[in-house]
Amino acid sequence: MAEQTQGAVPLSAVIADAATGVALALRGEGDPYALSAVLRQSDALAPAAIRVLGADVLAPYAMDLPGAPAGGDDAEVVHQALTSFPPGADASEVSVWTYRGLVEASHTLLSASARDWPPPPDAATGWVDADPWPKLSHRVSQLAALALPGLAPGLAEQLTARTDDLARGFVRAVRRRDWLQAAGLGRWLARLPDAPESLGLDSGLAFVRHMGGDDPRVTLHVVAARRFYGRGW
Amino acid sequence: MVTDRTAPVETAALAAEVEGLLEPAEADGVFRDTRECGGALLLAALLLISPPTPRPKTDVR
Repeated sequence: MAEQTQGAVPLSAVIADAATGVALALRGEGDPYALSAVLRQSDALAPAAIRVLGADVLAPYAMDLPGAPAGGDDAEVVHQALTSFPPGADASEVSVWTYRGLVEASHTLLSASARDWPPPPDAATGWVDADPWPKLSHRVSQLAALALPGLAPGLAEQLTARTDDLARGFVRAVRRRDWLQAAGLGRWLARLPDAPESLGLDSGLAFVRHMGGDDPRVTLHVVAARRFYGRGW
Repeated sequence: MVTDRTAPVETAALAAEVEGLLEPAEADGVFRDTRECGGALLLAALLLISPPTPRPKTDVR
């Protein structure tokens, strides 16, 4: 028998597993959600996966459903992610915003823990008004984890003024078959108050889920839009 | 292959990978250009309905 080789799990696989766990919890399926069960502290890549998924790892705790409350182990693993991967001096705006989102979510959803959370870093907003709509759409889709109720209210207010541009971006992403971008934008449009009726957001999100559902992060965004804002089928 | 979730990872490389995953470049679009498809269809149709190439008569009386 050939000797089996041993290697580390790729980060993308850990992220996909965690995204699947969050999506299942948002659908109310499976065991009661516990972040520290989905991403254990002993997993070398757990902090990195949490940093990439951002506030979404805490999304199930934002539901109005009874479930397992966030525990001390959850706070520990999130704190580890925040201290291990802070945005550097030359970090991109997306990196700063996703970090800020995770900090805000920790303050709100892990408030029962005795942890001292870092203060939310200042994040630039000039790009919201300045970016042309394709670039804005790409960037906003990368911030889909911030489209949670009550998170980043200032950013949501600024994006409201560019709802039509994000709707254009959603259509563009679907035409390009960029399902992750489409799902992220659709999730933001579900949060914003004035998404145009002519967009057909509900059927659009259903289509994105049907076509891009192989990617757990696509599923996560579509399920979050459904769970928190009642959009999509 | 056996994979190990507790295997040590190189921190600097992992930090760079995280940054890359947070803001990946936009993927090239995969879509069909309607005009290109229409042009290809028209060309195929013209080839199909074109008359055969004239050939010299070969029957000798």
